[in-house]
Amino acid sequence: MAGLQRSHAEDLLYAEARLLDEGRYADWLNSLTDDITYWIPMGGEGGDPARAISIVYDNGARLRDRVARLGTGLAHAQSPPSKTRRLIANVQIEETTDAAAKVASAFILYELRRGRERVFAGRYEHQMRFEAGRWKIAAKKAILVNNDEVIDNLTFIV
Amino acid sequence: MLEQVNLAELVQDHRVHRKIYVTPEIFELEIERIFERNWVYLGHESEVAEPGDYKTVRIGTQPAILSRDEDGRVHVVMNRCMHRGATICQQERGNSNYLRCWYHGWTYNSRGELIGVPYAGGFGSKFDRSKFALIKPAKVAIYRGLVFTSLSADVEELPDYLGNAKYYLDLFMDLSPEGEIAARAGTHKYGYDGNWKFQMENGVDGYHANFVHQSFFEVQGKRLGRKLMKLFNESTAMESKDLGHGHSILDTAPKRRVEQPVNNLFRGMSSQAATDAYLDSLQRRFGKQRTSEILGASNVNLAIFPNLLIIGVQLRQVIPIAFNRTEVFATPTTLRGVPEEINVARLRAHESFYGPAGGGAPDDVEMFNRCTAGLAVKGAEWLELSRGLEREVITPDGIIAAHLTDEVPQRALYRRWREVICGAAATEPRPAKLALIASGS
Repeated sequence: MAGLQRSHAEDLLYAEARLLDEGRYADWLNSLTDDITYWIPMGGEGGDPARAISIVYDNGARLRDRVARLGTGLAHAQSPPSKTRRLIANVQIEETTDAAAKVASAFILYELRRGRERVFAGRYEHQMRFEAGRWKIAAKKAILVNNDEVIDNLTFIV
Repeated sequence: MLEQVNLAELVQDHRVHRKIYVTPEIFELEIERIFERNWVYLGHESEVAEPGDYKTVRIGTQPAILSRDEDGRVHVVMNRCMHRGATICQQERGNSNYLRCWYHGWTYNSRGELIGVPYAGGFGSKFDRSKFALIKPAKVAIYRGLVFTSLSADVEELPDYLGNAKYYLDLFMDLSPEGEIAARAGTHKYGYDGNWKFQMENGVDGYHANFVHQSFFEVQGKRLGRKLMKLFNESTAMESKDLGHGHSILDTAPKRRVEQPVNNLFRGMSSQAATDAYLDSLQRRFGKQRTSEILGASNVNLAIFPNLLIIGVQLRQVIPIAFNRTEVFATPTTLRGVPEEINVARLRAHESFYGPAGGGAPDDVEMFNRCTAGLAVKGAEWLELSRGLEREVITPDGIIAAHLTDEVPQRALYRRWREVICGAAATEPRPAKLALIASGS
């Protein structure tokens, strides 16, 4: 094995996109490492999170709380929930060993909620880690093209 | 077909009419009489910390520039070239020694003086540059770093205008052992298709929390092993207060002693060592009693009429765009002179609840959108704001106080609204009439 191959990385990203599009959050959480970082920066690539706020900067506990809250049925900004479809392309393996890999991709995310359609575009950076016999997501950074603009509601998982 | 509306009748002591949220002509009047004739909040001094720093802002719906000159003075100029009207600054923030309009190259300094006109001879011998300085608001004043401006000179001095709110602003600033906050960690920007007043009402609404934010409290409560909804129920000792001038607060402090910072309520993120060091520095600066008072204010909801909310750690600016469109800029603050951990905890606590992906603020926004949709119903004309009217008390300072969940802050907002829109003595209906184009015509 020579690290994570692009075709395999594409499978992983497509699978993740499908889980999120289908709202299968428990399965999605299972595809993440316990020490996951889920990051949606502001201002392009984002600054040092110790000194700058992000749209989202979740560690594992915060992300699990986020998902639990969405599941209460009382997260009003997701009632009714957003329907989404993600298209992922331009997948590149930036670094890889047998234990870890960094994967960059481009995405377009279509969202429909209460008759209003929006399109988000951006770049994902996934840190993958080989754990218990499979590749898991150890960090996900979603760099939205419009992350410096007014965004009305971004309460679904990007 | 014109309809005469008596504006003072739309805003009564215990209820307001749906028309004040959904009528374009009333929005225009609000911009003129509220945002263009009164103090409005623009930003924090630290956002333009260095000479040449600038930030583009809005005064009502007009574009302006907040900047600092080479002598360290803060200036506000309107973002409109005096030649042919183009906006001069395009970036939200930047640093420049001069302001250049790129349409024909006219150049101004931070004070707004016209210092460069290309091929100036062509304007003739009588052309006088000094008559083309950028337009400036009549007043700019700073209170503990908060920059306010007024397009009208006919306003009270800023400290008088802030009045009873100054005590709470001081507490917020004194959370820093150096008495100074900074607003340089970024700004969450979101918006909604609804009226600006929904956000001003909601920022100091102690009644909604257990319903709009139940999901957040339940999930956080489970993690912390606490019943967070008890904070906002009928038995809480906290109060809502009308501070005068349209300012109001949900006062979390008056009936308890606070020994620990509570703005990390939902995330106990800073270590004991950092918390101890922070408390120690506060007590050395302010003494034990004042420190307890300051910490009591550390989870504040304060409204400064018409467009500033101070909530948790953030300065929140409410920006009216149209009668049915509002933008909200929430800028968390950090404290000078504290361990970095404390500030990191403030930023993470802010992120967890606020911003477009937060666990709380988007649910508030959802309610503004629902109100906007619901107010299309004609026949149900009024929004009820009478909660707590029968249990209000007036303190010797003239502060009106009642239970946390009472609609005191909303009544404070609309009392001021009526004064400003209808004239100073508008406690009774006055003939401040507005010609409205009736719907369907």
